[in-house]
Amino acid sequence: MIPRGTNPDPNPNSTLIDQNLDAIEDQLASIVLAQPNDIEDSSSEQEVFKDAPNGSLLDEENQQEIGGGEIVLCGGVRSSKWTNRRARAAAGMLVRGGAVEPPVRLRLRRPVEIEFVRLGGAILSMTCRILKAPWVPGKRHADEDDASVSWRKRKKHFFILSHSGKPIYSRYGDEHKLAGFSATLQAIISFVENGGDHVKLVRAGKHQVVFLVKGPIYLVCISCTEEPYESLRGQLELIYGQMILILTKSVNRCFEKNPKFDMTPLLGGTDVVFSSLIHSFSWNPATFLHAYTCLPLAYATRQAAGAILHDVADSGHLNLSRQFACQDIIPWHFCMLMSIILMIRIEMVLLKSNVLSEVQRSMLDGGMRVEDLSVDPSPRSGSSSPHLGQSRLATESLDRFQEAFVGIGGPAGLWHFIYRSIYLDQYASSEFSSPINSLQQQKRLYRAYQKLYASMHDKGNGPHKTQFRRDENYVLLCWVTQDFELYAAFDPLADKALAIKTCNRVCQWVKDVENEIFLLGASPFSW
Amino acid sequence: MSSRRRMLLKVVILGDSGYVNRKFSNQYKATIGADFLTKEVQFEDRLFTLQIWDTAGQERFQSLGVAFYRGADCCVLVYDVNVMKSFDNLNNWREEFLIQASPSDPENFPFVVLGNKIDIDGGNSRVVSEKKARAWCASKGNIPYFETSAKEGFNVDAAFQCIAKNALKNEPEEELYLPDTIDIGGGGRQQRSTGCEC
Repeated sequence: MIPRGTNPDPNPNSTLIDQNLDAIEDQLASIVLAQPNDIEDSSSEQEVFKDAPNGSLLDEENQQEIGGGEIVLCGGVRSSKWTNRRARAAAGMLVRGGAVEPPVRLRLRRPVEIEFVRLGGAILSMTCRILKAPWVPGKRHADEDDASVSWRKRKKHFFILSHSGKPIYSRYGDEHKLAGFSATLQAIISFVENGGDHVKLVRAGKHQVVFLVKGPIYLVCISCTEEPYESLRGQLELIYGQMILILTKSVNRCFEKNPKFDMTPLLGGTDVVFSSLIHSFSWNPATFLHAYTCLPLAYATRQAAGAILHDVADSGHLNLSRQFACQDIIPWHFCMLMSIILMIRIEMVLLKSNVLSEVQRSMLDGGMRVEDLSVDPSPRSGSSSPHLGQSRLATESLDRFQEAFVGIGGPAGLWHFIYRSIYLDQYASSEFSSPINSLQQQKRLYRAYQKLYASMHDKGNGPHKTQFRRDENYVLLCWVTQDFELYAAFDPLADKALAIKTCNRVCQWVKDVENEIFLLGASPFSW
Repeated sequence: MSSRRRMLLKVVILGDSGYVNRKFSNQYKATIGADFLTKEVQFEDRLFTLQIWDTAGQERFQSLGVAFYRGADCCVLVYDVNVMKSFDNLNNWREEFLIQASPSDPENFPFVVLGNKIDIDGGNSRVVSEKKARAWCASKGNIPYFETSAKEGFNVDAAFQCIAKNALKNEPEEELYLPDTIDIGGGGRQQRSTGCEC
């Protein structure tokens, strides 16, 4: 609860926000103290993105109370942006100042940006936008078990158990408390296997239960996210891969020798790793594209970075990654590898060159933007393909403009694309354009791509060459050739012929800048 | 680690006597023919989670075969003190378990015997005496014996305590986990051209 009486001025029309930032910071302390858990897991399948409109400030229970997060106060002209702590403090004060009745409990789940438009000291309007929260890996809701209503409501569960039914890992809840549940899962698997069959998928209403048996290790996903079976099964494969990466295949021998073996202690402290991996299933297209991505870099910079990494590898510091290079690595293991490579703190080495600053710049700048795609219909006019970073200055000023008027994306209503090179096992994707700037929309788009990928690679009906799909959210276009796969999202009203033309231009663009967005020639595993 | 680690024990309940744990559980998995539940027990300074596979009296669960018994840490044999046949069958259940589970040291595998339903008819319908039951337990390597009434939950907790105690006694010395050795040399280097497809 926000303590009352700490705000000496109950009048929101006065200049309390404008003038006394220090006071706000003080207010903040009390708010933050009062709500130690106010920022919650932004990825948790259950509570996030449900119906939160773009720009909602508070979580659902408070949303109705303050009308979707937009608070209009009184006349004004100037605008300013605050983020996080300060914005939260300000919002708390405004609400408490009586602008909104009754005073609400301020609970923010994610960092927000609050924009004020002011005239002198008066506030014309205040708009709140949710920012991308820094996602924190780790175990969630460890106190729950299968009797908890909250546990049952979670959208996506992952379990690892042994062939004797002992729990090894659960995404949510306490493994030990879920021992009975784990036993039930084992019984289901064994029951079917005893009949000389294998259980792959059980559908129960909105839920899918996906099973994967890997020798003495059983993996189960229970999901109502409507992801395709193939995707969920692929995710279980990745989780298994992650586990083997930590413990090696020695686990099989261990269970052979002693089926009683309790593996949980061996994985102690690795919750962070598994939760990161599971998080990436929703946020990293690499997990369903079976390809990895490169940071866009100028060709020369990438060469320099490669040379440095080579030296490190030769000096033996990168042995870890080399270990895995000679294992049976397939491309999608790469996302696991990345975490290990990062652990070795390559940046320490890169720091000594100017490569790191280039890398950082690239991370800030981002990669391809659909807005930069040339509208010029004449193909092969090399200059029409903007190189990365080149047109940045020109678009910089436009950004402000677009933000203000809500951009429409690229030509022909192109909102986003992913280009996957089949030879390189790499993909490149555009930045999200403004029509899909909320996390909720981005996640939804990834899910749509994931579905598209599965349907294109469907063993029963596929593989397909092209697909054009229109629904109320997008036009999705997929084009698969021997060399590449292109996934593109357009405005739902986009014209089909124009969309196809635009896809051709995207492919041309990618080809023109391919040595900046892909790692060509050398495989990263050939160190 | 501040606290000693919790132990998870798989406990299989066998016998002709109906569910021992009905009292604690209302989610009976009819299709599979077994009742699964989790019970926490504290013994001395250790916390135990008992994963209880309760099948007593059900034929159906046998369809699970080996999978059902696999990796059990303890087997609880239950009979009905009012039914002689259920007592006579204890031996079969014990044998069945040892064959199916094939524990590494069958002689010393921890069993517990429960004489169940002692409360029925005020004990007037009882046909198996405590003495007789204890004699049988002694002959099988001193199996701990408890008289219980599942309906009242009488003595069931004592039996669980005993299971935890046994497990502590038989706790294997901290098992050494040896990961596979990974060959850092050759392999990767030869695969320069194809990279990760090795």
